Amino acid sequence: MTELATEETTLNLNSCIRIGSIISSNSHLDYVVEVLKDRDCDRPPELHEREFGQPVFIKKDVNGTKHAIMGVIYDSKLVDPDQGRTGPRLAQDDQERFTPGYIEERTTLVGVALLGTAVITDDQSITDPTHQMPRWTLEIDDTVYHCPDEMILSFHTVDEQLQLAYLDRLVEIAGDLGAEIAMTVIDRLRRLLAEDDPNQRVLNVVEQNVQWQAHEQRGMI
Amino acid sequence: MSGQPTIVGTVAGPGDDPNEFVFITPAEKPIKTGEFITYSVSVDGDDRSVFARVTNRELIRGLPEGYLADPAVSPDTVATTLGVPTEDTELYRLTATVIGYYNTEMTTFANPRQLPAPGTPLSIAPDRQLETILPNLGCETDNMDVTELDGVAHIGWLLNRSPKATNIHLPIEEFASTHLAILASTGSGKSFTASVLVEEMMRSSSRASLLVFDPHGEYTTLADMQGHEMFQGEDGYEPDVVYYDSERLRVRISELNLGDVMAVLDNPSNRMQERLSTGWRSMQQQDSRTWDINDLIDRMEQLYGEDDASVGALEWRLRRSIGENDLFHPEDNVPLGEIVGPGQCTVLQMDTLDRRNQQLITTVLLRRLYRERLNDVRERDTAIEYPIFSLFEEGHRFAPASGDALSLGIMRTITSEGRKFGFGLGIISQRPSKIDQDVLSQCGTQISMQIQNPNDQDAIEKSVEAAGEDIFRELPGLTPGQAIVSGDAMNTPALIQVRDRRTRHGAESLSVVEKWHDAYEQQQREPTHSETADFGGGESTGMQNLN
Ligand SMILES: Nc1ncnc2c1ncn2[C@@H]1O[C@H](COP(=O)(O)OP(=O)(O)O)[C@@H](O)[C@H]1O
Ligand SMILES: [Mg+2]
Repeated sequence: MTELATEETTLNLNSCIRIGSIISSNSHLDYVVEVLKDRDCDRPPELHEREFGQPVFIKKDVNGTKHAIMGVIYDSKLVDPDQGRTGPRLAQDDQERFTPGYIEERTTLVGVALLGTAVITDDQSITDPTHQMPRWTLEIDDTVYHCPDEMILSFHTVDEQLQLAYLDRLVEIAGDLGAEIAMTVIDRLRRLLAEDDPNQRVLNVVEQNVQWQAHEQRGMI
Repeated sequence: MSGQPTIVGTVAGPGDDPNEFVFITPAEKPIKTGEFITYSVSVDGDDRSVFARVTNRELIRGLPEGYLADPAVSPDTVATTLGVPTEDTELYRLTATVIGYYNTEMTTFANPRQLPAPGTPLSIAPDRQLETILPNLGCETDNMDVTELDGVAHIGWLLNRSPKATNIHLPIEEFASTHLAILASTGSGKSFTASVLVEEMMRSSSRASLLVFDPHGEYTTLADMQGHEMFQGEDGYEPDVVYYDSERLRVRISELNLGDVMAVLDNPSNRMQERLSTGWRSMQQQDSRTWDINDLIDRMEQLYGEDDASVGALEWRLRRSIGENDLFHPEDNVPLGEIVGPGQCTVLQMDTLDRRNQQLITTVLLRRLYRERLNDVRERDTAIEYPIFSLFEEGHRFAPASGDALSLGIMRTITSEGRKFGFGLGIISQRPSKIDQDVLSQCGTQISMQIQNPNDQDAIEKSVEAAGEDIFRELPGLTPGQAIVSGDAMNTPALIQVRDRRTRHGAESLSVVEKWHDAYEQQQREPTHSETADFGGGESTGMQNLN
């Protein structure tokens, strides 16, 4: 994995694996995605390709410019319509988010939190990443793609300096799993970076902070 | 000079103490604790500039400490990674204590009895204004060129500002009449500071009459003042620096009083004391002031008979303690007219005298000087018709808390009464806790420098009125040459940097390594010592030397 950091691999957004499509949202930054099944396509995502902490993106044309809206899988839910009488409401009463409409067959849903955006270049890679909150709304049925490693790295790098500016927002959205999603993202980045990359140490500090805060919030410290 | 003062902060609200308020400043306006700030307030319809001293500073907004977890990663890098702004994000909350506004009629600070309202803008107090109002110069304005005043001593400048930005001029009148204490650990700059004050007092504009009791020979370089143009007056004035070494320090026996003699004698019995006191009194009543121990013993033998055992024992003791001590002389006495004089600084070099003799000569001299000052004020004949100021190094030796010094009595008298008679003392000491409390608390002006010992800090706390102020928390951390000046000479205490000397500093500590080097080179140049020994016939084993 580490060689990705140095080797120039060609990223082609057109060949990215599809993970699923949006079926609803809980908020501007929090979407529910139905994962593709065997029946839906030739190459449904494998389990590790839609795991907790997997970065994803959605393509959007905005005012003539192609953008990648970046997100990350931070939650999942299984739905079995037979278990309920009129179809399930997925959310518990105290949990507003993650509430899809009616679903007719057994389905895996994943929650996707938006992280930021980047511009898609003509040669199908990305540029100008920003971790600011995306301003544009996604649509039902928008396709959600698996984000390849090169893209993950490039989204997280500005002027050679590691960027994780969305982290506090992500932790907010992920709620109970906030610290875990932050840690998983950090871990993934750590594996993508060369071992002697100075950003490794920055990641350590960030991770410590996240962990500490989580323990504090959970009353461990 | 400066136009509108720049606003550096904004009042947030009252603080814990009734005289305290809290204000907020952004990071780019760094204000140190101890800084003087000012704001405008309306007192009885007049707009007044109120001054306050910053006593505390804390960061209320800044990067989390967790960002500092790895010393190799700068917190700014972590912040940038996390998208946290890093520039000018810090906010400081500062606490300030109101000093007051300068009342030009009372020529001191008056408390406005109201705190600034939240939102009141604060600015840094202008240098010139502080120069006018911090010391007790009696200015009837709050903004003038104080260097034009007569009788001021430029001691240094405010430590919190750039060097020489806000100069502090002490009123010589104040500290010279109500006494001065310079207290600090060894090496903090006591002698240096005292010398700076001596320089100032000897300038043409003051022409003081100074007497330095110098037990360590630290004031030998004051003679540099002679011939130095800074000290010359337009009328041809030049300070007269006189050195009096121990050879010339003599006490005429008749100047001793009974208590002095008792103190120098070894453990006299009650009967001896009684014999001596009668004999001594009788000698004091005669006209001649130039008698010696033989005369005294003759007198006691007349009174008690030649075979009186107590007189015999006294004779032995008197000869040993007084007769054989070069300090005492039947006739010679330090002529007061030679050691004091306007425009004269006399250094009494006592470094070759033992402690007892230092105390004796000091006691007798102080008593004589005090008598003359008393006579002057009471309009009797006197040898000294002008005020005098005496500096004491090792002040705790002459006025010890243990009470164990002849000189303590006269020191107490002068510190409590001297101000009426124009006799001021400057007490210098590295052990404030060992100075007599009465003496120390009578020193109206205090210069406190770095001091670590908790007992000594306590002593300062007890005797220095202003010691409760926050500024005194700085004491342990001061470096040589930094001082807090408080008391009569100041309207409010200030932390200063003492200025450099115009004369050289004569109290440098011995450079041990340098001395070793020199001694070694010296030896190399005289090779006789290191020549290989000639063992002659080879019989010598070297062991013989041990027998
Ligand atoms: N105001 C000053 N400016 C520069 N150096 C100073 C100042 N005061 C003290 N020093 C330095 O500190 C040293 C010790 O000062 P000194 O007055 O001899 O100390 P103390 O009398 O307290 O033992 C001096 O030799 C000098 O180098
Ligand atoms: Mg000294």
